[in-house]
Amino acid sequence: MAQTDHPDDPIATLEDVSVTYDDGTSFVLDGVSLHVERGEILGIVGESGSGKSMLASSLLDAVPDPGYLSGSITYRSDDETIDVLELGQSELRSLRWEEISMVFQGAMSSFNPTMRIRDHFIETIDAHDGNVQAGMDRARQLLADLYLDPDRVLESFPHELSGGMQQRALIALSLVLDPELLVMDEPTAALDLLMQQSILLLLRELQEKYELTMIFITHDLALVGALADRLAVMYAFDIVELAPKQQLLSNPSHPYTRALLNSTPNLQAPLAQMRPIEGQSPAPINVPSGCSYNPRCPLATEECRTTDPPMDAPAPEHSVACFYWEKAQYEIELNYATEQSGGDYS
Amino acid sequence: MTNYYLQRTARAILTIWVVITATFGMIRLLPGGPLAQLEAKLLRQGVPAGQVDAMLQTYQNVHPDKPIEVQYIDYVVALLQGDLGTSISRNKPVMSIIADALPWTIFVMVTATFLIFAIAIVWGALMAYREGGSFDLFSSAASIVLSSIPFYVIGIALIIVFGYQLELLPTGYRSTSGIDPESGLLVFFLDALDHAYLPILSMVLAGVGLQALAMRGNAIQVLGADYVRVARLRGLPDRRVAVRYVARNAILPMYTGFLTLIGFNLGGSVILEEVFNYNGIGYYMFLGLDNRDYPLMMGIFLIITTALVISVYVADLTYGLIDPRITTGESNETY
Repeated sequence: MAQTDHPDDPIATLEDVSVTYDDGTSFVLDGVSLHVERGEILGIVGESGSGKSMLASSLLDAVPDPGYLSGSITYRSDDETIDVLELGQSELRSLRWEEISMVFQGAMSSFNPTMRIRDHFIETIDAHDGNVQAGMDRARQLLADLYLDPDRVLESFPHELSGGMQQRALIALSLVLDPELLVMDEPTAALDLLMQQSILLLLRELQEKYELTMIFITHDLALVGALADRLAVMYAFDIVELAPKQQLLSNPSHPYTRALLNSTPNLQAPLAQMRPIEGQSPAPINVPSGCSYNPRCPLATEECRTTDPPMDAPAPEHSVACFYWEKAQYEIELNYATEQSGGDYS
Repeated sequence: MTNYYLQRTARAILTIWVVITATFGMIRLLPGGPLAQLEAKLLRQGVPAGQVDAMLQTYQNVHPDKPIEVQYIDYVVALLQGDLGTSISRNKPVMSIIADALPWTIFVMVTATFLIFAIAIVWGALMAYREGGSFDLFSSAASIVLSSIPFYVIGIALIIVFGYQLELLPTGYRSTSGIDPESGLLVFFLDALDHAYLPILSMVLAGVGLQALAMRGNAIQVLGADYVRVARLRGLPDRRVAVRYVARNAILPMYTGFLTLIGFNLGGSVILEEVFNYNGIGYYMFLGLDNRDYPLMMGIFLIITTALVISVYVADLTYGLIDPRITTGESNETY
């Protein structure tokens, strides 16, 4: 699958990355190709079971057993290029957290319930042979940047912190070794709306202060729209559309993206015009042949049923996997006014 | 928090008091009880009635002529002073019989319970790490088979094999006659150990299966937890993940079970010590039952109950110390 955007300085490049279970019979990630540009915030949107979390785990070569990860993932630090899937155990151990770090879904269950937050930081620094004193100073700074009281939080057990505090402490923990790339998998899913918003603001501040590259994975289009520079839409274990945020929101070109936007609650659109997407997304064992969206797509033709559409480029840096993206742009109307597009998202 | 400790302490004391009072009531209410039987026996032997009364009063502190509340107070005061009455069949103070027998029972049962948990924790954790493999399948089957055989059946089988056929270990008694601490501490200790192997082994074989399965379940649950996955991704050494993450969180729920099992096993020593002719408190309990020796039975009954109450009490008080999530302890009462 050809990738149409070519960023100048990709920090991570995925080529045809697949994750299979059951000896290759079920795909939970199906040939994903993606560039992540240094310093950007890339939002990845998809519904439950579309392969978002698998994509995140793949970046750290941490697919849960017995999944099999294939393809190529290249990570470029300042001076060297690393083929992630070729690394041995110890190299992988130092790549994770030092270069690429991750915040998981559910901060509440990411800390050992019988250990103080401080020990989580210390053991992480220790395991990577870091200087504990310097590392803890950095941890305190990070916690303070996240508007937490470092002394109180470090001395606490996980259950003594609220959900939002745990989430922020987990973000601090993921940044303690000064990684370049931070992958966040639904980091705000368990939080209330106000806390979600304040975490987003904090992430933006952190990204600027520490020159981070972020991948933000969520099912919540409105949420990531406020934060991301570029947006990728996943459907049935693959990316179907990828574009800068404004471009994607004002000119969505994949029928699924357009349907998804129409189904999302929106201030500009009357409630009556909200449209659910008919049908349901496919299970990993029987993804439709051709374009995986064809059974639900109003524009589907025989070609869609037999051939997997390659990435096409409606605009520079905008890629979409659809034969009929031009037709989709005028045949599937958006229920929010195009000229104001993205207004409430950004 | 203080309130909680006070409450648990009060409850423990109350439980023991209820048991004491119940024994006081039972010994007087049981018709045709040991005292009536003894009295009749003595009178038939031609002992003068006055002398019979005097003898009876020395047993179990019974003074039938005093008002009931005075008797009760005398009884409780005597108990608090460690006077449990005099054994009818052995003609010795019950307290001295218990003092002689209890250390042996504690030695066997506490060692057995420790071994049960030590083995179960390692075995269960190994099963969990190899979940679904042939080791796991075989071990699970073996644990179920082992825990479905009663310990006394295992005990008898062990006596036949190791005692009579191989003649490796003694078939009963807690020590060889003639060997006591004066024969040298090491000799005495090794001899005691020789006699304790089989009772301990039968308790361990019968008890380890269930605990191993419990540990296996706990460990599988913890292994699947997000924090273990995150810990591995953070690059922590496997050893640290195994000890601080998996083991610690999987063992915690077993702690209360461990302490209460010590208490239960002390009570369960009756059959074990009968099988092995092991002169611990269980052995004397059986002796008391056999001879209708109520003071002896009641004394040992009190000791066993007190041991159980104390083990539950200790479990309640200390759980908060080992699990940081339990600070008030209120959500974690053992009973």
